[in-house]
Amino acid sequence: MTARFDIAIIGAGVVGCAIAREFSRYRLDTILIEARSDLGDGASKGNSAVLSTASDTPYGTLECRLVTRGHERYRREAPGLGLPIVTLGGLTVAWTEAEAATLTAMQRAAVAAGFHDAVLVDAASVYARAPHLARGVVAGMWEPEEAIVDPFSTPYAYALDAVANGVELRSASPVTAARPVDSGWALSLPTGEIEAGLVINCGGLRADAVDALGGNTDFRIRARRGQFLVFDKSARPLLDAILKPVPNPASRGILITPTVFGNILVGPTAEDIDDVDDWRVTPDGIAQLERAAETLLPALLDHEVTTTYCGLRPGTEQPEYRIIPRPERRWITVGGIRSTGLSGALGIAEHVAGLAFDGMIEAARKTDIVPVRVPSLLDDGPRPWHEAARLAADAAYGEIVCHCERVTLGEIRDALASPVPPRSLKALKRRTRVMFGRCQGFFCGARVQAMFDAATTSEAAE
Amino acid sequence: MTALAAAGLIVVGAGPAGLAAARAATDAGVARVLVIERDDEAGGLPRFCHHPGFGWEYSYRFESGPGFIRRLLGALDRDRVQVLTRTTALALRPGPEIDIVGPACGAVTLKPQAIVLATGIRERPRAARLVPGRRPERGVLTTGQLQQMVARGVPVAGRRAVVIGTEHVAFSVLLTARRAGLQIVAMVDERDRVMSFPLLGMAVRHALGVPIHLATRVLDISGESRVDTVTLNGPAGVRRIACDTVIFTGEFVPDAPLARAGGVALDPRTAGPAVDQLARTNLPGVFAAGNVLRAVESSGFCAIEGASAGAAAAAFVRRQTEWNGTAAPIGLGTNLLYMVPQRWAFEPARQLLPASLRTRIDLDRARVLLRHGDEIVWQSLRRSLLRQRRIRIDLAGLPAGLRGTPRVITVDAVT
Ligand SMILES: Cc1cc2nc3c(=O)[nH]c(=O)nc-3n(C[C@H](O)[C@H](O)[C@H](O)COP(=O)(O)OP(=O)(O)OC[C@H]3O[C@@H](n4cnc5c(N)ncnc54)[C@H](O)[C@@H]3O)c2cc1C
Ligand SMILES: Cc1cc2nc3c(=O)[nH]c(=O)nc-3n(C[C@H](O)[C@H](O)[C@H](O)COP(=O)(O)OP(=O)(O)OC[C@H]3O[C@@H](n4cnc5c(N)ncnc54)[C@H](O)[C@@H]3O)c2cc1C
Repeated sequence: MTARFDIAIIGAGVVGCAIAREFSRYRLDTILIEARSDLGDGASKGNSAVLSTASDTPYGTLECRLVTRGHERYRREAPGLGLPIVTLGGLTVAWTEAEAATLTAMQRAAVAAGFHDAVLVDAASVYARAPHLARGVVAGMWEPEEAIVDPFSTPYAYALDAVANGVELRSASPVTAARPVDSGWALSLPTGEIEAGLVINCGGLRADAVDALGGNTDFRIRARRGQFLVFDKSARPLLDAILKPVPNPASRGILITPTVFGNILVGPTAEDIDDVDDWRVTPDGIAQLERAAETLLPALLDHEVTTTYCGLRPGTEQPEYRIIPRPERRWITVGGIRSTGLSGALGIAEHVAGLAFDGMIEAARKTDIVPVRVPSLLDDGPRPWHEAARLAADAAYGEIVCHCERVTLGEIRDALASPVPPRSLKALKRRTRVMFGRCQGFFCGARVQAMFDAATTSEAAE
Repeated sequence: MTALAAAGLIVVGAGPAGLAAARAATDAGVARVLVIERDDEAGGLPRFCHHPGFGWEYSYRFESGPGFIRRLLGALDRDRVQVLTRTTALALRPGPEIDIVGPACGAVTLKPQAIVLATGIRERPRAARLVPGRRPERGVLTTGQLQQMVARGVPVAGRRAVVIGTEHVAFSVLLTARRAGLQIVAMVDERDRVMSFPLLGMAVRHALGVPIHLATRVLDISGESRVDTVTLNGPAGVRRIACDTVIFTGEFVPDAPLARAGGVALDPRTAGPAVDQLARTNLPGVFAAGNVLRAVESSGFCAIEGASAGAAAAAFVRRQTEWNGTAAPIGLGTNLLYMVPQRWAFEPARQLLPASLRTRIDLDRARVLLRHGDEIVWQSLRRSLLRQRRIRIDLAGLPAGLRGTPRVITVDAVT
C-alpha cells in the first residue's frame, strides 16, 4: 500500500525544516523529503550567519515582512531550542562623501519603515566600536539589533523538533516525478511512490525543477555564488560588530563579521553562475576577499585563514521571494529565498501554514509538544566539562577529541546517536564542529572518522 | 587530585620534547612531574610514524617513531613522573596556573612552580593554503591525518594520490602511502626545487617513476563525496590528474594557541614562543621546548631541547636559579629567517638550549658571525646552507658580555 501523508514538504533546507516544524504542531501526517543524505546541505550550508532585522531588505515586500517576523520569532523561540543568538550590532561604514550621503538616505528610509533603532554615527564612534578598522571612515550607521547565529544548528534544531513531534524525515530521497492523484499528488522517491494531499516545494536551488514536476513554470533559479574566508580564532579580538559596506544596486557587498564559533568571516562575493552545483572556491574569489580584508580590517592579514567556503543563493529573475499558493493544484511553491532565508524561515513557515490552512487543509492544533534542545556550539559558551555533575557522571565529557574546536568524545557520541543522525562526515562536522578548526583534521580526523564509520556500519547492520 | 597538585613541574605534551623534559627534570632533582597529553596515548607525532629515522641526535640510534617513544617512556622514573593521557591543557595564566580537563582528573586548576610547554606542531591544511576548488567529503588529507589513519587502522580507501610539497615529510608520505595501498601519481611543489635532499627527489623520480612537478600550483580540486581530479598549473601548462586522494604535506606551524592565549609572547618569525637560552618565555615559571618553538626540527633535536628546558625548569623549581627578566634580544642579519633562542640572558654563560637558525636563501659558503657591539665573539664558516635546513650552533661557554651591548647574528656569503 502506498503511504499517504497530509503534507509532503520537498527539501530540508532551513526553510523546509522550519515549515515541517510548523506543521508538527498540528494533527497532521507530514513528511519532509530531502534528496541529499543530510538536511541543510544546500543553500543553507553556506551563508553569512547573520540574523537580519530586515532593515536591509526592500521595504514593503513580502520578504521584508517575513524576515521581520522571522527575526522576531527567532529571538523568542531559538533560546528554547538551545540555539545561541549573539547580538553584536551592525555597523555599516561609508568611506566616501557619496557613500555617506547614501547612508543618510538609507537611515531615513529605515526609520520611516519602522526600523527605529538605526542611527547615524560619526567616524569617531565608528572607530570606538571597531578600533581596528582601516583609516578613512567618513560616517557610519549603527543597528544594535543585528545578531549572529549558528547556521548549522538552526535547520538541525527545526528538523529535530519536527521529528520529535511526529514528522517523518526521509533523507537521501530525491523526488523525481509528481503525478496528480485524487485530492493530491503521488511523488516518486527511490523507494517507490508516496501520496500527499498537499505538496510544499522548498527545493532551494532546485525549486524550479521541483515546480516543473508539478507542471509549474513561473520562474527559473538564477544561482548567485558567495565565497567566504574564515579567519583563525586568534583574530576574534579584532572585531566585535557586524561590519557592512554601503550596498550598491548590484550587491550588498562584502561583510566582515565574527561568527558564534569565534572566527572572523569575510564575504560573500556575488557571482551569477549557470550551474547550481558549482560549489567552487575560485582564485578570483579568494583574491577579492583578501583585498576586502586588507582594505577594511588590515590587521586580519596577520592571522591564518582557517578555511574557505562558498554558498549559492537560490535567486530567481526577481528579487522578491516566490511564495505561490496554488489551492486548486494542492501545491505551494516556496522558492527564491535568496539571501535572507536563515533569518526569515520562521516567518516564512508561519506564512506558509497560513496559506495552507486557508482552504487547502484543516487540522487541530496539538496540545502536547515534545520539547527538544540542541547542544550549544558557541565558542565561549558553557562546555560539557563546566558542569561538574555531568562530567562526574560521564567521563566522556572530559575527553577532548577535536582539539581546535574542543569537542569531547561525549558530544560526538551524542551527535551520532541523535534521532536525526548525521549521515555524512560533513554532517557530523556541522552538528559538532569536529574537524572544523584550524587543523582541519590533522589531529582528530582519523579518530573522528573511525567513530563515524563505526556508528554508520552498526546502524546498517541493524 | 592531591597527587596532581603535588607536581612541582607540569609538562604539556608527551612528544619527544615533553618526555625528554620530564626525564631531565627528575634527573635534576624534581620530586614530582606531571605530563599532560591530550591524545589517547603518549608519543606526539612520532607515535604514528613507523619508518626509521627518529631520535638520532638524542640517543644516537636510528629508530622508528614508536621505537623512539618507547625508549623515552622507558627512561621515565615512574615513581616521580605521572603521564596523564586524554587530558588537555585548556588555559594558561600567570602564576603559573593551568586549567586541565580529562576523563580521569575532571576539570581542575593546578598551580605548579613551573610549566614546560611542549605542544609541538601541525601541518597547514589545504584550506589555510587557500587552494581553490571544491571541498570533497573525503580524500583531502594532511600527512598527519594520513599517518594516524594508517596507524589506527582507519581505511583510507583510496588508490591514486597526489602529494603536495617536497619537504622531508613528503617523502615520509611515500612510505606511509605504501602501507595504505595508495599509489603516488605525482608530487607537486610551488617552489622551484625539491625542498628535501635533492637526492631523494632523484630517487623518487627515477627509481619509483613518480613525476615531480616544480614551480607548480594547484588550480582546482574537484569531486563531491571523494576527490576525483586535481588541476595543476606549472611550466608545462595546465594539466589535470585523475586521483582520489590529495595529501598536503609540510608547511608546519607551531601549535601554540595555549601559549598565545595565556599571554606568552610569540616571535612573529617563528609563530612560536620566544625564549632565552634557558628556554624561558616571558611568563615567569613558563618554559617552552620542541617544535612549538618553530617548525620544524627532527625529533632528536626536539628531545635535546626538551631535556634542556626540563633541566632549566628543574633548577627554577628547586630555586637554584632566579627568574631573570633582563634577557636581551639577539638581532638577526638580513639573510636570517629566525633564530631560537631569540633572547640571551645575562647570567653565568651556561647555554642549555642548542641554538638553531634558518636562512632565507640558499648559500654555498657562508660565515656565521655573532657580535656583541662591534666585537666578534663567535664565528664559523659553513658550507651549503639550504633554506629548509637547520644551522645548529653551539654557543656554550660564551662570555656573558656586557649588559646593554647589542648582540647581532649574521650569516653572509663568502666567495
Ligand atoms: C552567500 C550567502 C550568504 C547568505 N547570508 C545569509 C545571512 O547572513 N542571513 C540569512 O538570513 N540568510 C543568508 N543567506 C540566505 C540563506 O542561506 C538562504 O536563503 C536559505 O539557506 C535558503 O534555504 P532553502 O531551504 O530555501 O534552500 P536550501 O537550503 O537549498 O534547501 C533546499 C533543499 O531542497 C533539496 N531538494 C532539491 N530538490 C529536491 C528534490 N527533487 N527532492 C528532494 N529534495 C530536493 C535540496 O537538496 C536542499 O537540501 C545567505 C545565502 C548565501 C548563499
Ligand atoms: C610525517 C612526519 C614525519 C617525520 N619524520 C621524522 C623523521 O624521520 N625523523 C625525525 O627526527 N623527525 C621526524 N618528524 C618530526 C618529528 O615528528 C618532530 O620533530 C617531533 O614530533 C617534535 O616533537 P615535539 O615533542 O616538539 O612535538 P610533538 O611530537 O608534536 O608532540 C606534542 C604533543 O603535545 C600534545 N599537546 C599539544 N597541545 C596540548 C595541550 N593543550 N594539552 C595537552 N597536550 C597537548 C600533542 O597532543 C602532542 O602529543 C616527522 C614529522 C612528521 C609529521
